[in-house]
Amino acid sequence: MRRSLWAMAVAAVLVVSACSSGSTASPGAPSGSAAATGSPAATGSPATTGGTGFDPNAIEGDLVLSGWSAGAVEAPILEQLLEDFQAAYPKITVKFEPVAGEYPAAMAAKFSAGEPPDLFYVDSSLAPTWIDDDLLEPLDDYIAKSSFDASQFYEGYLNAFKGPDGKIYGLPKDGNTLAMAYNETMLTDAAVEPPTTHEELVAAADKLKAAGVESPLCLSSTMDRALAFVYQNGGSLFNEDKTAAAIDSAESIAGIEWYLNLFKNGQGQRPSDLGVDWCGQALGEEKSAIIFEGGWVDPYMKDTFPEVKYAWAEMPEGAGGKATLAFTVSYSIGADSKNKDASWVLLSYLTGKDGMTTWTEGGVANPSRKDVEGAAGKEILIQGAEYARPWSFIPGFSEINDAFNNAFTAALEGDGGAQEVADATKEAIDSNLQ
Amino acid sequence: MAAAGRVRRPSLGGGSERRSELFAAYALIAIPIALFLVLNIGSILYALYISFWEWTTRPREIIGIANYQEILSDRVFQRSVTNTIYYAALVVPLQMALGLFLAVVVNQKIRGQTFFRAAFYFPAIASSAAITVLFIFIMSPGGLFNEVRSLLGLNPLFELLGFGPTHNWVGNSSTALNSIILLNAWTTSGTMMLFYLSFLQTISREVYEAAAIDGAGPWQAFWKITFPLLKPGHYFVATVSVIGALQLFDQAIIAGGSGGEPANSLTTMVLYLYREAIREFHFGYAAAVGIILFVIIFGATLIQRRLFGQAPSW
Repeated sequence: MRRSLWAMAVAAVLVVSACSSGSTASPGAPSGSAAATGSPAATGSPATTGGTGFDPNAIEGDLVLSGWSAGAVEAPILEQLLEDFQAAYPKITVKFEPVAGEYPAAMAAKFSAGEPPDLFYVDSSLAPTWIDDDLLEPLDDYIAKSSFDASQFYEGYLNAFKGPDGKIYGLPKDGNTLAMAYNETMLTDAAVEPPTTHEELVAAADKLKAAGVESPLCLSSTMDRALAFVYQNGGSLFNEDKTAAAIDSAESIAGIEWYLNLFKNGQGQRPSDLGVDWCGQALGEEKSAIIFEGGWVDPYMKDTFPEVKYAWAEMPEGAGGKATLAFTVSYSIGADSKNKDASWVLLSYLTGKDGMTTWTEGGVANPSRKDVEGAAGKEILIQGAEYARPWSFIPGFSEINDAFNNAFTAALEGDGGAQEVADATKEAIDSNLQ
Repeated sequence: MAAAGRVRRPSLGGGSERRSELFAAYALIAIPIALFLVLNIGSILYALYISFWEWTTRPREIIGIANYQEILSDRVFQRSVTNTIYYAALVVPLQMALGLFLAVVVNQKIRGQTFFRAAFYFPAIASSAAITVLFIFIMSPGGLFNEVRSLLGLNPLFELLGFGPTHNWVGNSSTALNSIILLNAWTTSGTMMLFYLSFLQTISREVYEAAAIDGAGPWQAFWKITFPLLKPGHYFVATVSVIGALQLFDQAIIAGGSGGEPANSLTTMVLYLYREAIREFHFGYAAAVGIILFVIIFGATLIQRRLFGQAPSW
């Protein structure tokens, strides 16, 4: 045990140093990454010539594309994509300049200097703040004049990048949803069927516990998981047009309460209480049989715990029906970007049908378009996008997120309950709505 | 050149020589002073300026003291101030005591003196991120700390204090900040030791010899001679330590994320500032937080000056 602790500690140092140069994606790194093999190179231009005289083939210029640094798996596919693009549009040169360190901080400096990259990643949860600050270029005119088919994007992904004015400020480069990953062996051993409803989930957890699994569920005490269960219970964070808090509604509070009770009744524990970094590790180390995560679990399990057999199922249904969260990242053009026309040509290529096929066919990233199939084994995560709701709310969201998380942790320690969590969250919402 | 100047100074006739020497001196000072004025004083003034604005990635509008009003009424900010002051109030005496103790130890004529000095200073040069991550592992529910105390049979004692056998020290809001206090008291003790050591060596051996002749034991010598004569040292170490403590950030963000988890127990003032600036692009607001922090640090330094008398005489 002691030796494994040291190994863990060393691994942690390595992970931390890797992370510091790695992604700054939203919770649990839901941003895409992909593993594609050779692709049918650009055969047709996805951004076809529209009727209004926007001819992508006539546009030229040098572009800088920025994001957080691509991982070892992701980088070659992005390179392949850009090569394909270069072949299709030889007049446009693209340079990928990943941002090292904290992405929003580095971008803030570039925005303040009035020199953002031409095209860059925007995390869904930060999009409202960036849109509100007029940092992003609306894409509606480009979509119209190049007859780009934006109707194929899943709404849960696309809506993350819609401003209060209804305009589109970015197109999702890929997407991920939360689903339920379960250890097949552990469930079979305890004679438990994968639960499909809240009641079945509780019953399954109790049965697993009786069979000797100390923490049948691994549960994050954070809103980026809890909110899915609140939605399933018919609750919500905001009202429909995000002008008022809805986290204090009876359904929302009941949803928080239900999620809190999973901890209190011993059906699940937090990763930190299980001595793991995140729930994926709890699944891998077989400390928990059921977790609620997204597609980022797959490459991790394949690399770290290839022997553990697990499968995906949809999130359990609550009184309010099916619900899950959609995490995504867009390609957006800066309001101050130099070469917007050429940026649009690249953007429409990357998020078009062909580009996204190349990007997602290897299977680590899931398509954000309905007309791109995605890889085998990803069906549950991809289909979840049909009803997933975007992880994107209002400017100042991080304060709301912090308020929920901190109040929820306090409630877990016995300081307050669901009502207090809702109150603290509502207070943060109200102060950001003014 | 300096030597030549010194030789000629007595001659009264060297006016132009002296002037050109002065000119050279000021010219040399000018560069660091200019950098200091622009980069330090300049940015403080600029921060003060933008703190009266609604300023995102660009200036929006002048809003007077609205930022300050909003900050002071924000409960999370109030929590961050209490956390920071609580942290400083505990960590500073601990650091000073530990630093002084280590300094006195390594100031003895003992075998392996250099080794001990280096060993005690080691935590100060190791990466604080790496140390913090290791610390979190050691203090985790199934971590080394909980295992060792159980092996040593100390669990009944901990039980008495209300901590179960698998207590999550950094993940529980009642112990998170205290754990970080202990961690930082240890990591900074080496630096404090170094400061104290340099002050210790300014105390003349003769004083101790005289005391020894008068029959003072080592304990008396420490409290009657070393401790009071270290007054400038206390002032210096306390000031440096308080300033550092009020700026707690890296351990807090590694242990609790930018949200200051668990339950805001690791939300410090700088963490609060950071999250307003970097995650929400509220640069005007964050600048105002910075100014408030500056005022608090400045105030704390003045108070210490009062406590430890006049500025030291070095």
